[in-house]
Amino acid sequence: MRRADEDQRLDVVATVNGRERRFSVLPRLSLADTLREELGLYGVRTGCEHGVCGACTILVDELPVRSCLMLGVQANGKTIRTVESLAEGSSLHPLQEAFRRHHALQCGFCTAGILATSQALLAENPCPTREEVREVLSGNICRCTGYQTIVDAIMDYAENGQAGVAGGERGPAE
Amino acid sequence: MSKSEVAQIRPKSIGTSIPRREDPGLLTGRARYIADIVLPDMLHIAILRSPVAHGRIRHIDTAAARAMPGVELVWTGQDSKARCQGIASTLEQKGFVATIQPLLAHDEICFVGEGIAVVVAHSRAQAEDALARIEADIEELPVVTDAAAAIDTDDLANAAVPANMVYRSNRVTDPVEEAFASAAISVEGCFHTPRVNASPMETRGFVARHEWTTGTLTCWSATQMPSFIKTMIAIFLQFPEHNLEVITPAVGGGFGQKAHLHPEELLTCLLSIELGRPVSWIEDRQENLFRAPQAKQQINDMALAVDDQGRFLALRDRVITDSGAYNSLPWTPLVEGHAGILVVTDPYRIAALSAESLSVTTNKCPIGAYRGVGFSAPTLAREVLIDRAARQLGLSPFEIRRRNVIRQEDFPYQTRAGMMIREGTFLETVDRLEAMVGYEDFRKRQQEAFREGRLLGLGVSIFSEVSGIGTRALNFLDFPLTSHDTATVRVEPTGKVTVTTGIVTSGQGHPTTLAQIAADAFGVPMEDVTILAGSTHHAVGFGTVASRSAVFGAGTIGRAAEIVRGRMRAVAARLLQAAPDDIEMTGGMVHVRDDPGRTMPFAAVAGAAYFAEATHPDDFDPALEATAAFDPSDIVLANGGHAVIVEIDMETCLARVEKMYAVEDCGRMINPMIVEGQIRGGMAQGVGMILLEELVHDERGQLITSTFQDYLLPTSLDIPDIEISHLETPSPLVPGGIKGMGESAMISTPAAVAGAVNDALACLGVAIEQFPASPQRIFEALSKVGVMDRGNNFPV
Ligand code: FES
Ligand code: FES
Repeated sequence: MRRADEDQRLDVVATVNGRERRFSVLPRLSLADTLREELGLYGVRTGCEHGVCGACTILVDELPVRSCLMLGVQANGKTIRTVESLAEGSSLHPLQEAFRRHHALQCGFCTAGILATSQALLAENPCPTREEVREVLSGNICRCTGYQTIVDAIMDYAENGQAGVAGGERGPAE
Repeated sequence: MSKSEVAQIRPKSIGTSIPRREDPGLLTGRARYIADIVLPDMLHIAILRSPVAHGRIRHIDTAAARAMPGVELVWTGQDSKARCQGIASTLEQKGFVATIQPLLAHDEICFVGEGIAVVVAHSRAQAEDALARIEADIEELPVVTDAAAAIDTDDLANAAVPANMVYRSNRVTDPVEEAFASAAISVEGCFHTPRVNASPMETRGFVARHEWTTGTLTCWSATQMPSFIKTMIAIFLQFPEHNLEVITPAVGGGFGQKAHLHPEELLTCLLSIELGRPVSWIEDRQENLFRAPQAKQQINDMALAVDDQGRFLALRDRVITDSGAYNSLPWTPLVEGHAGILVVTDPYRIAALSAESLSVTTNKCPIGAYRGVGFSAPTLAREVLIDRAARQLGLSPFEIRRRNVIRQEDFPYQTRAGMMIREGTFLETVDRLEAMVGYEDFRKRQQEAFREGRLLGLGVSIFSEVSGIGTRALNFLDFPLTSHDTATVRVEPTGKVTVTTGIVTSGQGHPTTLAQIAADAFGVPMEDVTILAGSTHHAVGFGTVASRSAVFGAGTIGRAAEIVRGRMRAVAARLLQAAPDDIEMTGGMVHVRDDPGRTMPFAAVAGAAYFAEATHPDDFDPALEATAAFDPSDIVLANGGHAVIVEIDMETCLARVEKMYAVEDCGRMINPMIVEGQIRGGMAQGVGMILLEELVHDERGQLITSTFQDYLLPTSLDIPDIEISHLETPSPLVPGGIKGMGESAMISTPAAVAGAVNDALACLGVAIEQFPASPQRIFEALSKVGVMDRGNNFPV
């Protein structure tokens, strides 16, 4: 077992959003702060840092994880996906499109975590019921939306996938 | 021309549910919030917070902290006091007691969580390490935690507030004794609403960068009130205002909590000035629960006199606001009970009102604004009493309201507090809500459930909302403030439109809805409009508070556009050989009224104004840019109603919301999808306040709910799907007929949830008047009537 002093940075190798990244972090730094501060992935949000709000949820080896409750050094050898990986080029992922179409976000602070939870849910259960979606979402707090439209968006994506109507900014008659 | 002038806007984009332009950035992690602001050389703040609720600082030893690695500076209250006395907060009201809240306590500490020292270091972690090395010697003083008891005690919560009374008023004192004596029934109760925290998912934060070489101070603030913050920094720190800029990044929810001047904001500015480096303060959740403005804690001792036909005769209310230790700025504790009692009768004809309001100082965090402010608590008390009266008289909750709401034939109707109500859909709301609920069926279902040992309850709340709050409304609510906003619009040479506004969003969708307004103001497609917001260099405004942004957005953009349109009409009139008054703008074209053949592109007119002097009329002012102010000429009143069905589990005493309904009339909707999002989000917060959320202080003033493990927010399992129906009564005082609605659900849903809990328990003779209606409170109430002892056997 390796031992480290508290002010000694440790080397980490991880696959982050499809790319191998090498970085070094202090052992005290949470994975959330590591991704933000060391890798510039500011889409990772922290709302409580004690594992309740879910804003910091990311995918670690494709499973949803509280990045505020994991250390940066624990990323070693792991595959990590954050919200930044979802859109391709400048087009939103169909799940993101569904969120936009259904107005499943307001301030957007909970959104990255909710997208991560949804991705994990849909990977395991591509055709969930509304109740199942609500159950799985219950670990992600949103203070703005009242949740219903988030459930709508996930259901729409699950049922229609890519076939959903693209949600551009359109005038009424255009 | 008057600031209240109502410009012409023809709704086209307005009224449609256009997806939001801000979503792509928010959905992809690209949007930048305050914690994402990183500047070269930036330092980090951590604040030592008082562990005692009331005390006197004897000595603070910071030597060990100063020696810690990475620490650049440590200040105590003495250091901050030398540069700024603190936040003075008063109102021009007779008898109102001003307070000065120090940036860091330097002598008397008045609540747990008050800052007593600050460390600036290279990282937040290092700053926190240093906090642990600060030794504070504090002499404890008697603690005042109970607002009702604080009125009669000799102990003072804050030495600056005599008798713990910030303000006491009885503006409306109709004699009501006779009405109560002659009433067929009178219903009364003493309602306690919980102290809550708005708990936006993003905590508060502030970054300051002082550049001594230019004398400029640039601030990034997660605020709802950037212009206000800027002026306050200038005043409290004596900083030249023209060298100040407040920038608002993406804000992760505000709900009123971010509509205050926080001591930490001034402190961060001072530290940046002192150190000559950018300084960042990002609080954690615990600090937010301890120190961010708290809200809603009132005691309403209310009675309603009703005749045998169910008609309301008189209402009496004595409200105590648990104000906390200092007056918040700008709202002061008047934002709670005092504002609340001035609108308490509003949806109903009530001929006599006797209302007294007391704002009482306690050793708690200052009370401030949270969505729905002081309107929620009195609305709750009133609506629960109305349900109770209906039960006693054998009337349905809808019928008793039908007999009392202000009707079309009553307009204009002046309330006893003095508000003139000119339009609204109170009766239609009651009817619509009743149909949505399916009232008869619900009662059958309720009886069946009862036979199966389940308790169902229905709560109803009818509300009106003072929206689009400007000077008139503020003054009516006893805030003697002047408030107007400005916007600047510019038509670019190629016919695109740039709007600068002081309105900032914390999620409510202004980048989209303001673009809808501006597009319709010029008759151009929405994609030709850009909205610049988020810097105080752009425009002035009071901020996004009090359901005012849609109203002020339409008013300011409408008026500024009117000026520019006039100039464009003058040019177009020459080009199309028509009278300027006959020139119209729609669909990106400019044409002559009733003559569709004579037309030219909007962009061509703009181009002519910029580049073709030959087309200019005499004395033409070619500036296609104008700034205008707006402030509505009177109160803009929105209205609606909510109904909530709860089920209470007899074994766990847990109340669960089964279904919720909303009827909303915010005049003409700009974007119905966004309006519905506001309603759903507000209703969820209403459920939180009545069933889950409570900041609990023990008798020593310790906050014992300082994490999300103790302070419970609603999850996706607590909020059911919500059915919404719209009515639209346009306001004549606002372009497009728009009214505000951002707070509506938090004004009225708490009442409906509380009513539903009481309806469920009424068959057992149990009433709940203290909230949240937690399982423990319901258990205790049921135990009192012996229900729990009978092994869950109903007394059927
Ligand atoms: S920040 Fe990780 S769960 Fe709240
Ligand atoms: S959208 Fe604001 S917290 Fe969910």
